Amino acid sequence: MPPESSELLQGTLELLVLKALSLTPMHGWGIGHRIDQLSKDTFQVQQGSLYPALQRMLRRGWIKSEWRTTENNRRARYYLLTRPGRQQLDTETRAWERTSTAINGILRVRSAEGLS
Amino acid sequence: MSFLSDAMERLKALFFRGRLEREMAEELRFHVDREAAERIRNGAGPEAARREALLAFGGVEQYKEAVRDARGTRPLEDLASDIRYALRGLRRNPGFTLTAVLVLGLGIGATTAVFSIMYSVVLARLPYPDPDRLVMVAEKNSPTNIWNISTADATAIRAQQRSFEAWGEVSRTEAALSGQGSPEHVMVGRASAGFFKAVAVPPSRGRPIETRDEAAEAPAVLLVSHALAERALGGAHQALGRSVTLDGVTHEVVGVLPAGRTELGGVRAAAWSALKLPAPVRRGPFWMRGMGRLKPGVTVEMAAADLAAISARILPLWSDFRDSLAKLTPMPLRERIIGQADRQVGLFGGAVLLVLLLAITNVATLVLVRASAREPEVAVRVMLGAGKGRIARLLVTENIILTLAAGAAGLLLASFAIKLAVSQLPNLPRIQNAALDWRAVSFALVAALLSGILVSVSPVAALSGRGGISSDARRAGTGRRTNAVRSALVTAEFALALPLLVVAGLLLNSFVRLSRVDPGFNPEGIVAVEVSLPAMRYPDSLAIRGFWQRAEDLTAGLPGVAAAGLASDLPPDSPGTNNFNLVDHPVPDGQSEPVSPWYGVSAGYFEALGIALLDGRMFSAADTVAPVVVVSRAWAAKYFPNEQAVGRQLISGGCYDCPRTSIIGVVGNVKNLGLAESEDAVYDQFNPNRDRTLHLVARSSAGATAALRGLRELVRSLDPELPLGESVLAAKFDDSLADPRRWTAVLGGFAAVGTALAALGVFGLMSYVVRQRRREIGVRLALGASPVSMTRLIISRGMRYAVVGSAIGLGVTLVLAHRLQTLLFAVSPTDPRTIAGVALLLLLAAFLACWLPGRRAARIPAAEAMNAE
Repeated sequence: MPPESSELLQGTLELLVLKALSLTPMHGWGIGHRIDQLSKDTFQVQQGSLYPALQRMLRRGWIKSEWRTTENNRRARYYLLTRPGRQQLDTETRAWERTSTAINGILRVRSAEGLS
Repeated sequence: MSFLSDAMERLKALFFRGRLEREMAEELRFHVDREAAERIRNGAGPEAARREALLAFGGVEQYKEAVRDARGTRPLEDLASDIRYALRGLRRNPGFTLTAVLVLGLGIGATTAVFSIMYSVVLARLPYPDPDRLVMVAEKNSPTNIWNISTADATAIRAQQRSFEAWGEVSRTEAALSGQGSPEHVMVGRASAGFFKAVAVPPSRGRPIETRDEAAEAPAVLLVSHALAERALGGAHQALGRSVTLDGVTHEVVGVLPAGRTELGGVRAAAWSALKLPAPVRRGPFWMRGMGRLKPGVTVEMAAADLAAISARILPLWSDFRDSLAKLTPMPLRERIIGQADRQVGLFGGAVLLVLLLAITNVATLVLVRASAREPEVAVRVMLGAGKGRIARLLVTENIILTLAAGAAGLLLASFAIKLAVSQLPNLPRIQNAALDWRAVSFALVAALLSGILVSVSPVAALSGRGGISSDARRAGTGRRTNAVRSALVTAEFALALPLLVVAGLLLNSFVRLSRVDPGFNPEGIVAVEVSLPAMRYPDSLAIRGFWQRAEDLTAGLPGVAAAGLASDLPPDSPGTNNFNLVDHPVPDGQSEPVSPWYGVSAGYFEALGIALLDGRMFSAADTVAPVVVVSRAWAAKYFPNEQAVGRQLISGGCYDCPRTSIIGVVGNVKNLGLAESEDAVYDQFNPNRDRTLHLVARSSAGATAALRGLRELVRSLDPELPLGESVLAAKFDDSLADPRRWTAVLGGFAAVGTALAALGVFGLMSYVVRQRRREIGVRLALGASPVSMTRLIISRGMRYAVVGSAIGLGVTLVLAHRLQTLLFAVSPTDPRTIAGVALLLLLAAFLACWLPGRRAARIPAAEAMNAE
């Protein structure tokens, strides 16, 4: 089976794709490369798993695709963030921040209790 | 927004599948190339870079599949491939496909046709606004004795009722109409303005009858049906304002009803004139129907109480009517219009449903055989990794395609069947509206889909019951469970077929008895013309009597005519009735007077029909002062059992001030009311004050056509402007059998199909058993078993299903049979001889169906069957 992984990972992957595309339209390889760069290789995902995720995001209307020519003069499929995609990025970023703050809080309480 | 983009992407995926696949391949190739280039830039060799790039990407084909899944079109693509596969399979097996489509198409077609008829006859809304608030009002003194209301009743209801928002009266008569062209007899509804308010059907042109038309001196006006306007008035668009002569009186056309409207409030009429209600002078006669529209919130029960109070209040006001049990009674219009038809159509519907169930059962066994024949194929598919769910879906898809095809065939059949029924069963109310409309189409569609699911149940159940993979493909076809299901299905077929046969048998029995009923006279050679004398040219009883006597005398002198007479009604559908009270045996005070069929005739009528005088004497020229009647033998036996009827007196029509009526003679019984009805009858001499319309009857040896021509020419010679209605009595009796004959034929057809399907079912199963046990039977024969014993083995096994199934069917029949009671004549719904006869017939069919495979079993060559292993 392809590493479809858990809900969390799938959602996270989509969030990262949205983030990557928020700067500039990119083709699939570019998106993967950018995520690796930004995360400093934290996420060990197979590059292929990007494409089913992109297809799902197309259907949700978060991104759209266009065939463009690369700097090396090859045809490649570029993905662009749409307005709903940008909104989605905002919502998910905020949700993620809330969640991580909460979880960090819990983790800190745990260690405090551990001391007593 | 998101929904839209989702739908767009899915549609694109569905319709541009090839392009998407190409683009996906290109995109992934670009990715790997780009990754390899990156690695080369970082110092890897070209070979290694490519290998590492592929590795980093993961399984290309797997991701392609994942992307395809993500497109969201997977279920549709699977369905398309299932359908392609199923069509291929069905084409490869035309015998199976054709049989299944025909058998089920027959079932669905018949059911759809009956459904359409049932819808228009029983279920469809009556064509009036708020039809449930319309009630007909009549006098009623027992559950079965219902009659018209009188002027006195109507006047009282108009003044006192509190239940109706609109109330009116209607009476139907036949009248001679001359517009353009030759005069014709039409049915005319005379109705008050309130009647038109109650039914609330506005004319398409002009106006309805209004209150001002009811005044005694108001000019005569007429509302005509669209059909009459088209036929006799030069078209609906120019009918308004035209003059029409109705029974000699000139009427002005003031309105035209919408096209297709042939009745109002259940009264069929071509034209409508104003009912001018005179002031009542006595309680009777009873000659109209009441029609009321209930106020919102008023129930039929509340109206019944209201009307009952009125009945009680007016009873003491009139001396001529003393029946305290008689109550003005409201009856929902719907009940009055549909009447018994729901029972007939219900029986029809029940029977056709059994045929459909039989067809489904039959196709289910066919499907099961096919499924078990394909078990090796299924086993291989399971082995190759196809999920059971997927295979089940494949089976269901195939069956639904099959049943949808049957549904289409059924619709074709239904369209013919509906047309046939509309032309053949004209007496069913509202059947003219039956058509193959969207309701019929959706009905057939639902029936087809349901059948598809039903026939899939057992093969799918068998599939899920299978443990894993059976590598023994040869044994795979012999599932014990499959056989048990098939046996149950065959048993069910017999349980379904038997009730069909019983119903058909009972109807046939009833029909035969009905057609053997003696009408009381020989109708051969008897013809009649109906003549109406208009009031304009025949103003008084002298003119009327003069015309009738001349006509009767001249008719008797026509060549070939043995006898001639006059009669107000002719058998077998003579509707006239009258109430009376016997002077010697009066009904107790406050009780209902008896009611009897009552006809006005001349003495020649009995001679013309050949009705024998059994006692007393016939009317004579001297009988002009005191009223006299002749009664039928059945009437005499009913009212004067073990007594002499001749010489007794009665009070006729509740007229206690009139001279007493004497019984002067007793004549033979005649089926005046129809073959299935009683033979009570009172005949009085035709009365020129009452009988403007009479039948001129002749017994002639000239043949019906010539005799009718003679009568026609004779009446024309007396008065060329009289419209005539013609009847041939033998044909009238035959017509009265037409409906029962058709019902019997249709039910007989259903029963024949049912029997054939059940026989086919057991034949199929036993043939299969013989094939399956070929080896075992061969061994037995080789070991010395007699061939006859093998035949017996097969027959006894098949007959077991037939007998058990028939027994179950018999039980069901006995429980439901009483519902048939009202549709049968002189046969009990549980008539043991009929039931035994049809059961025997069904078992005989089963025996033949088992005997064929049984004989084949006996002929299995012992050696070959063993060697085949």
